[in-house]
Amino acid sequence: MATIEVTDLTKDYGSVLGVDSVSFTVERGEIFGFLGPNGAGKTTTIRTLLGLLAPTAGTATVLGADVRDDGAFIDAKQRIGYLPAQLGFNEEVTGEQVLDYHASVKGDRRRDELLEIFTPPVERPIREYSTGNERMLGIVQAFMHDPELVIMDEPTAGLDPLKQEEFNEFVRSERERGTTIFFSSHVLSEVRRVCDRVGILRDGELVGLEDIETLLDQGGKRVQVETTDDLESALPALDGVVDVNSFADGVQFIYTGDYNTLLRELAAHDVREIEISEPPLEDVFMHYYGDGEPAQSGQEVESNV
Amino acid sequence: MFETTRYEASRRVRGTAILTIAISLYAAFIVWYFTVLEGVDYEAVFESMPPAMIEAFGIEALATIGGFLGTQIYNFVWLLGLGLYFAYAAGGLIAGDIEHERMDLLLSFPVSRSRLLVEKTLSLLLPLVTLNVVVGAVIYVLVQAIGESIDPMYLVLAHALSIPYLLVCIAIGVVLSVLVDRAAIAERAAIGLIFVLFLVESVVGGASEFEWIQYISPTYYYDPTPILIDGSYELLDTGVLLVAFVVLLLISQVLFQRRDI
Repeated sequence: MATIEVTDLTKDYGSVLGVDSVSFTVERGEIFGFLGPNGAGKTTTIRTLLGLLAPTAGTATVLGADVRDDGAFIDAKQRIGYLPAQLGFNEEVTGEQVLDYHASVKGDRRRDELLEIFTPPVERPIREYSTGNERMLGIVQAFMHDPELVIMDEPTAGLDPLKQEEFNEFVRSERERGTTIFFSSHVLSEVRRVCDRVGILRDGELVGLEDIETLLDQGGKRVQVETTDDLESALPALDGVVDVNSFADGVQFIYTGDYNTLLRELAAHDVREIEISEPPLEDVFMHYYGDGEPAQSGQEVESNV
Repeated sequence: MFETTRYEASRRVRGTAILTIAISLYAAFIVWYFTVLEGVDYEAVFESMPPAMIEAFGIEALATIGGFLGTQIYNFVWLLGLGLYFAYAAGGLIAGDIEHERMDLLLSFPVSRSRLLVEKTLSLLLPLVTLNVVVGAVIYVLVQAIGESIDPMYLVLAHALSIPYLLVCIAIGVVLSVLVDRAAIAERAAIGLIFVLFLVESVVGGASEFEWIQYISPTYYYDPTPILIDGSYELLDTGVLLVAFVVLLLISQVLFQRRDI
């Protein structure tokens, strides 16, 4: 049986539809990235998976337990670690007291080992913690009882780049140990680096379910080039160039073709400035998963009225 | 078992200590004040007060130490003050965790919602028991110290019977706490409700036509002054309070079970 099985999951908040008929499975031992822009319904899905929200329709099982049944879910929860987007630890207690409390409920056999990688100042009260420290404490509590499945909502938010890298390294080593990991992110590059498979959520709907290779091929790069001569007219001839936008002193486009072809073309021009970067997530959706209008345009129309 | 109760109670130790000391000091002041007032003509004092006020604060038999303590400490601090305090504290119990999104993590624990709610509620037993035991003992010692005497059984009864009353105040707070998402709203609503119930009981109690309204107030079922004067109380009243406590807690369980966090 799959570790997480979601079937036609719908959460209707009344005024807004949180998630709309989402289905996916997460297999045992894989790292599954749940990707989407802010407000896409990632947190809603995660909170439903933990039984915090009752689904309006559809079902979900986690480690074989139905998330709608509070009683039946208890045993499964012993084998789940959870890192929510907002931790909200009590301000006046120390990190140590928080961990002691969590340990008394679910165990802490890996606590010391984890505190060597993630280093929140456990002797200090939470009130003095930075966002990064609070997140590290959250990571420690999520993994310290050695759960089979860890569910994380934007785990690296607030971590400095060095710790983010350590976290990615840690997640990869967790996969080696056989832990199943499900985490959400709105950062494409982060998901790329550690995930086996990715589910892409947009406006509450699952618009793509890809293994990471496919996503890498389709995602493309955003290229911003400033040349002294005319590059723009040469671009349409290149395979894989889309969404060309020209500025006063340069041009920007998304490139999904062969890198060598692009570099050869660029070499023929006098390049003054170049930046090749991850495209914004919303662009990826627009080009590869979109069914027309991006989510933002509707809002712009409204605000103009 | 009771990990959450232990954790939550440990967070209440300081507040409980401060409150216990503060109320003990107030009690000491009142006991000292009784010695100062000796020889005052209480008949004249009663005549100068409106009957509704005498009714509201149970001002009777001020001349005896029992009656004096009942009026100045128990009616004022236990019935009103602690009633408000425990309703307030219970109001923040769940709503505070939901507001600060702590509840997400707590509900990911391998613990059912109903047990979490019960364990959190139980943490309020720390101040509840400590206040009753410590302040009760302090009052007894102080009364002995000024050379007055009070039946220790009456004192124990006045404190013991306050517990079901305060439990109802807690349960009212808990129900409000699972109903709303913001601690401040639940806390204020709980305080407001207890205060209104207190007023309803004391004001309407005199007017025969609406006499029945007083029965909805928990304050009607706990009257410390007669207990302290001659040890009289109604066991039925305590039963009503305990039943109300259980029913309110069951309601909060159902509400908490069904709500989205």
